[in-house]
Amino acid sequence: MAGRLGPLERGERLLGFAMLTPAALLLGLVVVYPVWRLLVSSFHQLDQGTRAGTAPFVGFENYAYAFADDRFWGATLNTLLFVVITVPGAVVVGLGLALLANLPFRVKWPVRLGLLLPWALPVVFAGLIFRWFFEYRQGIVNDVVVALGFEPLQWLSRPGLAFFAVCLAIVWKTSSFVALVLLAGLQTIPRELYEAAEVDGATRWQRFWRITLPLLRPAIVVALIFRTITAIQTFDIPYAMTGGGPGDSTETLAMYIHKTTIDFLDFGYGSALAVLMFALSAVATSVYLRHTRRREDAP
Amino acid sequence: MANRRIASRLVGTVSALAVALAAGAALAQQTTLRIFTGGQQRPDVMRQIVDVYQQRNPGVKVEIEVGGATSEQQQQYLNTVLSAKDTALDVVLIDVIRPAQWATQGWAEPLDGYLGAERDAVMARYLPAYREANVVDGKVMALPYFADAQFLYYRKDLLAKHGVEPPANWEALIEGARKVLAAEGNANLAGFQTAGAPIEGTVCTFLVPLWGAGGALVEGGRVNVATPAAQRALKLWSDMRAANVTPPNLAEIVTDRIRLNLQAGNLLYAMNWGYVWNRVENDADSQVKGRIGVVPLPGFVGGQPATCIGGWQLAVSAFSKSKEEAVKLVRFLSSPEVSKMQAIFASHLPVFPEVYDDAEVLKANPWFKDALPVVKTARSRPVSPRYPEVSDIIRTNVNAFLAGTKTAEQALGDMNGRLPRAMR
Amino acid sequence: MTLPRRRMVWIAALIVAANGFLPVLWILFTSLKTESELMRYPITWWPQDPTIANYLRAFADQPLPLFMWNSLVVATLSTVICVVVSALAAYALTRLRLPYRDLILQSILAIAMFPLIALMVPLFQTMRGLGLLNTHLALILPYVVLSMPVCTLVMASFFQDIPADLENAAMIDGCTRIGALWRVVIPLAGPGVFTAAILAFVNAWDEFLLALTLNSRQTMRMLPVGITLYQGEFAFPWPIISAALIVAIVPIAILIAVFQERVIGGLSSGGVKG
Repeated sequence: MAGRLGPLERGERLLGFAMLTPAALLLGLVVVYPVWRLLVSSFHQLDQGTRAGTAPFVGFENYAYAFADDRFWGATLNTLLFVVITVPGAVVVGLGLALLANLPFRVKWPVRLGLLLPWALPVVFAGLIFRWFFEYRQGIVNDVVVALGFEPLQWLSRPGLAFFAVCLAIVWKTSSFVALVLLAGLQTIPRELYEAAEVDGATRWQRFWRITLPLLRPAIVVALIFRTITAIQTFDIPYAMTGGGPGDSTETLAMYIHKTTIDFLDFGYGSALAVLMFALSAVATSVYLRHTRRREDAP
Repeated sequence: MANRRIASRLVGTVSALAVALAAGAALAQQTTLRIFTGGQQRPDVMRQIVDVYQQRNPGVKVEIEVGGATSEQQQQYLNTVLSAKDTALDVVLIDVIRPAQWATQGWAEPLDGYLGAERDAVMARYLPAYREANVVDGKVMALPYFADAQFLYYRKDLLAKHGVEPPANWEALIEGARKVLAAEGNANLAGFQTAGAPIEGTVCTFLVPLWGAGGALVEGGRVNVATPAAQRALKLWSDMRAANVTPPNLAEIVTDRIRLNLQAGNLLYAMNWGYVWNRVENDADSQVKGRIGVVPLPGFVGGQPATCIGGWQLAVSAFSKSKEEAVKLVRFLSSPEVSKMQAIFASHLPVFPEVYDDAEVLKANPWFKDALPVVKTARSRPVSPRYPEVSDIIRTNVNAFLAGTKTAEQALGDMNGRLPRAMR
Repeated sequence: MTLPRRRMVWIAALIVAANGFLPVLWILFTSLKTESELMRYPITWWPQDPTIANYLRAFADQPLPLFMWNSLVVATLSTVICVVVSALAAYALTRLRLPYRDLILQSILAIAMFPLIALMVPLFQTMRGLGLLNTHLALILPYVVLSMPVCTLVMASFFQDIPADLENAAMIDGCTRIGALWRVVIPLAGPGVFTAAILAFVNAWDEFLLALTLNSRQTMRMLPVGITLYQGEFAFPWPIISAALIVAIVPIAILIAVFQERVIGGLSSGGVKG
């Protein structure tokens, strides 16, 4: 059987590859070719000082500058901090929302829409909305703060507070997606398990810890992975809320790349930074791939 | 009989054709020009002005596209459009700091060819600073639209009430502000505001006191801001904060918010551009009509006052499809007649020295009399094809200092670290 | 249900609904206030003197309907193309005996999950070279790739649940493979296709960075970019931006209200299985 393929199988293979062609073409045009271009640009000098048409080859100079660039390290650190804070943050809040949403409601639509609306909004809108919340004088947050007897806080002009405010906006926006994924997972857990546990005398906490969480694990992992991948690319919310400020304290790697290419028109350096960002994402992606491979091997 | 009917039908057809052709020709001659302007450069006044142009030039229709409330936002938008060699825009209103960048990138159409023999005569009529700003490598890249500089606006009613004179130097300003704020006891009244957010205007927030302290960005051919003058400049703002003259959220303040605060009666002193006058005097919701005074910005005790030059220029896009018509429009917009209209309707400072003496202009803007010397001696920000990067370095570090993220030493040190590469 | 239980359910509903609605509600109130009311300190919560002036300004200052149209065109076309391409790929990978099937799937996912943000620079250069900057196509193509991993996974998992016998029966009756895909598999995987379409649509509608970079010419702007770049005479015109935000959010809200059961249902059956 090995070696020669029957006509049926050969036809199937041809059809299979034909069906994969559109995807392959699109990936080639939108990803593979640009990645090649990205690598090439990163080894050249392509900025506003270079005369139009010339692009001298500079080897690793752009990368060397990146490693010596405080702003690059700052942006990378900020990005990692956002990942470390908002990924678990969104999952925890999302889990809470999902558990609440899983209760039996007579009227379902307020809860459903309450979860769907933040998810369906463009991310950047969350940035604008929360920027208005945290306005120094006209913001409602400071209104509440003052009503509670404190001094108004400079949410968007103190680095620590600004970072917190941005994290809050990100968690609000992304926890809805997590909640929707986890809710789907919760709804697959059979009621009988809970009832049997209750009969056996398990407390609510034990039921949560011993039944809910373990059965929810696959959904939590999915949520974590998707959340992490988007967290590394954080751009919209800090862009709309703080523009990266105060100073550079909320500037992410994606924002620094955007600024370098669109504001400074330094395509060479911007390409090098983007390659470094890809390296960061590749780590996350490989974690995901390792996970799916493991799941496919499982019976 | 038949012949006559054929003949009349022929005449009818021919006349109809003739009318159609004429209409078609008229339509074909209709050029549409698109001007891009920023939100803060009074697009409404520009609309009035181009309406006049449309009346005088029936074959031309002018559309105005408005975008970007701050200079760097406008340029970011224009970067993407012009890098794409987009033909959408014909004329672009650019900040005084941009011509060098536009020349290097090849985005602006050099106007020398279009000005022809008149070139030198035309350029000689403008204020020298704008003549220089718009000529790069000997080529005219843009024509000036209006001049600008930063001034000190103040509430003359409040100063008079408490016996304070308009300040001759920064130290006196702080003293006077403290006195008035203490006496007024109004929690909503702030003493002084200047741009502090990471916007283009914040570059001037650093350079004005730097120049006032006798310093400069470039010394002996090298960029160096680790100087006592630079520290004095930043210290001015920390002194003001310590005296509670500036609000705690200065790092969030953008140019137009200063005007809004002044207009609402919540500000004693404002460091801002010329356009503010027209708004505070003429806006329907202005709470301070007739109560605002304008003087040049002060310097330090024993030093010279200094201010930042501003102003906006009209460039013709190198990718425009109607360059001839665009240049004609630009020459109209950059004329003494239009300069006068702008002065009266928008308090835009004129680029022609003679317009400052016009009776109607002075009636609308009495302080223009003293403004001309200020505009003539105003200093320019660094000229560089990489200006966006230079500006970003300065404004983000000043913003960080004002927000308390960096100390003066750190901010100046970081500027010193990054500016040389940007200004190479 | 015991009384404390019912109260708990009510409170739970309130929390979830409030979390979703309150921020938008606050923007709605802001949009109805006059400018002078908004400059007041301390602030007011309920609009004292409700006005629709901000909405009129929002439409006058920028071509809001044009932004919405651009977003609609790009989102719809990219969704349709993404669903078709992903369905073909998912079918080929789950139904047909291809060599290196796993490797191909992994490669597709790995490539498609490449951060589009990192590709901003070369995509800008590529689209500029192709003369596609500031066109709908410049965004449609990347958005298809953006949603390809999710759509492929969702549909692959649905396809896997459909027994092959049904297609075999159809093919015995004379159907081609593609015919079987179209007439048997897709209808049965309906919810999966629908979920994939919704996810792709929302991804495309909400995307910001590429839209900002590749399509910032005013006449071609997408809705999120158009609103963020809203500049009137003021540095940040909150009254007008709030009005524009509400105008942009209302269609989204209507869409999810109408399709809420399908969306949640689709995510339940498909989202977790992937």
